Amino acid sequence: MAEIQNPKSEIQTPERRGFCTKVIALLVAIGVYVPAAVAGVLALLSPLRQAGQAGRSMRLATLDGLPEDGTPRKFAVVADHRDAWTHYPKQPVGAVFLRRTGEKQVQALQVICPHAGCFVVHDPEKKGFFCPCHSASFDLDGKRNGSDCPSPRDMDTLEVELRGREVWVNYQKFRTGIPGKVAEA
Amino acid sequence: MKALIGWINDRIGLPSAVDRQLGRTLQGGASWRYVLPGTLLFAFLVEVITGLVLWAFYCPSSQSAWESVYWFQEVVQAGWLVRGIHFFAGHAMVVLAGLYVAQLVLTGMYRAPREFVFWAAVSMLLILLGLLITGDLLRWDQEGYWATRVRVGFLTLLPKIGADAFKLVLGGSDIGHLTLTRFVVLHVGILSVVFASLLCWHNRMLARVGLAGHAEQVSNGNPSSSYWPGQALRNLLAALALSAVVGLLCTQNYWRGPHPGQRPGEYLGAALGAPADPVDSFAAARPEWAFRPLYQLTALFKSSSIGNTGLSWQVVPIFGITSGLVLLVFLMPFVGKLSVGHVFNVALLVAIVAGAAGLGAASLWNDRRDAKFQAAATLGEETALRARELVRPPLETPALVGTQSAAPAATASLASVPQGIPVDGALALMHNDPKIAGRALFQQHCASCHNHSDAQGRGIVSEKPSAPNLYGFGSRPWLAGLLDPQKIVGPDYYGNTALRKGEMPGFVKDTLGKLEGDEKKQLEMAVAALSAETGLSSQKELDAKESARIGDGKKLIVGDYGCTDCHRYGGKGQLGNGPDLSGWGSREWLVGIIGNPAHARFYGKKNDRMPAYAEFPAEPDKNVLSAAAIGILADWLRGDWYEPAESRQ
Repeated sequence: MAEIQNPKSEIQTPERRGFCTKVIALLVAIGVYVPAAVAGVLALLSPLRQAGQAGRSMRLATLDGLPEDGTPRKFAVVADHRDAWTHYPKQPVGAVFLRRTGEKQVQALQVICPHAGCFVVHDPEKKGFFCPCHSASFDLDGKRNGSDCPSPRDMDTLEVELRGREVWVNYQKFRTGIPGKVAEA
Repeated sequence: MKALIGWINDRIGLPSAVDRQLGRTLQGGASWRYVLPGTLLFAFLVEVITGLVLWAFYCPSSQSAWESVYWFQEVVQAGWLVRGIHFFAGHAMVVLAGLYVAQLVLTGMYRAPREFVFWAAVSMLLILLGLLITGDLLRWDQEGYWATRVRVGFLTLLPKIGADAFKLVLGGSDIGHLTLTRFVVLHVGILSVVFASLLCWHNRMLARVGLAGHAEQVSNGNPSSSYWPGQALRNLLAALALSAVVGLLCTQNYWRGPHPGQRPGEYLGAALGAPADPVDSFAAARPEWAFRPLYQLTALFKSSSIGNTGLSWQVVPIFGITSGLVLLVFLMPFVGKLSVGHVFNVALLVAIVAGAAGLGAASLWNDRRDAKFQAAATLGEETALRARELVRPPLETPALVGTQSAAPAATASLASVPQGIPVDGALALMHNDPKIAGRALFQQHCASCHNHSDAQGRGIVSEKPSAPNLYGFGSRPWLAGLLDPQKIVGPDYYGNTALRKGEMPGFVKDTLGKLEGDEKKQLEMAVAALSAETGLSSQKELDAKESARIGDGKKLIVGDYGCTDCHRYGGKGQLGNGPDLSGWGSREWLVGIIGNPAHARFYGKKNDRMPAYAEFPAEPDKNVLSAAAIGILADWLRGDWYEPAESRQ
C-alpha cells in the first residue's frame, strides 16, 4: 500500500508536503513490515532462551571395575536426551574417562576435547590422551603435553563422589575453545 | 513467427532484451579469456536444477537426513548422478570463482569503473564457500557432522557473542534437528538466492562496462565483434568442458575397476559416509579442501589466552587473518589507484594463493604420513560400507508371510537380518550391529585384558594382556589350544591369569598331555563335541556332518576324561568347581559369564579379576552394560552378524 500512495502524493503536492508524505509512507511501511520481521527474529533467536543441560549426577562404575594401576577406562554416559521435539529415552549422550588415582580416589575426565569438541582417545603408548582432530595431547591427569598443544585448557575434570564402592559422576559439558572452564548453558 | 515474437516483445520486452544481450559489442572481439562468468552462470543453473531435485527427496531431521540422502543415492533411479553432479559442479564453482577473481586482479580489471564487478565476484566466491560449508552438513554423515561441529565450535572463540553465536547457528546447545533445518534454509533459501542475485547483477554490470579491460582495448588490434556467436559459443564450449570434468568425477570409480552386482549408487557419484553419530567422534574428520589451508594455519597458533583477555590465540587465524585478507581484497580497487598499488595487489594475490597452496599441501602431507589418521580413515570407510550394507533393502523378494514352502534363508541363523531402516533411523541399526558395535564394546570394556587377535597378531591387541585371547572363542581350534599342555599356560589362554596355577592346567598336562596315537584322535572327538555346544554358525555344517563323532566325544567327556568331576555336563557333575559345560560358549552361556563370571555356574570364587558387567539382574540400571549390549558383545565374539549374500548379481 505504501508504494501505491507514494507516487500519487508526489505528483499532487509541492516539495515540502512531498517530504512529509515520504515520512508518512516510511512510517506506514515500517508498520507493515516490522511485525513480521520482529516475529521472525524472535522465533529465530529462540535458542538463546533455551536453558542448557545442568549437571546430572549418575552412577558410572564401581571401584572394582577400575584398574588399580591407574589405567583410564572409558564409560559411556547413558541418559535421557532431547533434540528439539524428539525425546530419546536412555540414549548414549557422551562418555567419561575414569581412572584410579588412589585406593579410594577416582578422577573423572570429560572425553570432549576442550579445543574443538572432538572426542579424545586413550593413548597407551604415550601414557596419556590424544585428540585426533587437531592432535592435542594430554597426560593421564588430563594436563596438556607441551606448549604447542592446541587445546586452550587441560581436559575438563568432572566431580566424583564415591558412595561405598560405587563411582558417581556429575556429568556436564563445557564450552569448547576458550581458556576458561565454563559449563555449557 | 516473427509477428508472434513482435507481439510478445511489444508487451514484455524480453526477446529484445535477449537480442541486446547477444548483440552487444565486444571491444577487441570474442576471446577465451572472457568465458569464466558465463561458465559460472552455466554451473549455477546446473546446481539449481540438481539442487531442486535433491531438495524434493531430502528430509532434514536427525533420524532422516542421512537416510533420505542414502535412499536418493542408492535406490532412486539416477539419484547418484543428480547428487554427483550437484556435488562436483558445486566444488568446481568454487574453483571457477577463484580463478575469475584471480583473473580480474592479474589483468587489473578491478579498477574504475569496474569496482562493483570485482566486489560482486569476490562476494560470489565467499558465498560459494558458505554453500560448501552448509552443504557439507546436510548429508548428515560422520565426516560432515564432525567437521561442522568443530567449525561451528570455533564461534565460541569470539569475545562476548561467541556462546550466543554458537547456539544461534546450531539452533540449540547441540547439533540436532534445528541445526539441519537452519542449514537447509541457509544453503537453499539464503546463500543460493543471494548468489543468484549477485550473479545477475554482476552480469548486468559487465554488460555496461564491457568484458574487455581498458588495457586490452588499447593494445589489442583485433576488430570488435558482437557477443553472438563468437563469445556465446566459446562460453558454451567452456561449459561443455566443465560438464565433461564433472561427468568424469561422478564416474571415477567406474573407470577404476569392475563392480559386479553393485547398484550404480553404491560406488558412483558423491561419497556418503556412515550416519552421523553424536557419541562417536569421527577421528578422521577434516574440513573440505577449500578450508584445508585455514585448518593448517590454525595449527600454527597456540590456543592459550592472549594476555589476560581470556581470548584464545586461535582467534587470530580463524577470524583475524581471514577477515583481514578479505578486507584487503575488497580494498584492492582503491589500493590500485596508488602508484605501486597494482603491483601490491598482484603480490597480495600471489601471496594468498601460494600460502594457501603451501598450507593445504602441508596438511595433506601430514595426514598421509600419520598412521593414526590413516587407520581412522580406513575404519571410517569400513563403517560407511557397513552402514550401507545394513540399510540396503534386500535384493531378493522377501518370502510371503504364511507361505509354507519358503525355505529358511541362509542367513536366518545370524543375529538378525535387517529389514530396512527402522523408525529411529540408521544409527539404531549401527548401534545394534554386532559387527560394528560389538567390536567397539569389546575394545572399550574387554580389550584392556583380553586380546582378540589371530595367529599373525592381527586384530585387537591389548597393551598388557592378562586374560585369554578370545579370537575364535569356542571354535574347535580354540578349544584344542586350551587342551594343549603347552598352550594352556601360554599367554593366549591361562598364562597371565591366576587359573594358570589352578587344577585345569594340571589336568591337561597329566591326563590329556599323555594321550598318544588313537587316544589323541579320540581327544579330537571330545573337542568337537564340546565345541558343538556353542552352536557357532561357522561350524554348523561341520557339526551336522559329524554328529556321530560328536556323540562319541560326549561319552568321553562324561566318561574316560572325567570332566564331570569338576564340571557339569550332560546332566552329570556339580556346579561350583568349574564352569558349566552344558551349552558351553553358546550365546546364552556367554551372556551369563559376561554378566557375572563369579556366579556359581561359571568361575565362582575362582574368578580372577574379570568384572561382572551385569551384577544386578534385578536392577538393570546399576549394571555396567545393558542386557542388549552384552548380547551384542556375545554375538560379536561368536561371529554372528548379518552379512549380505556374497554374489549379488
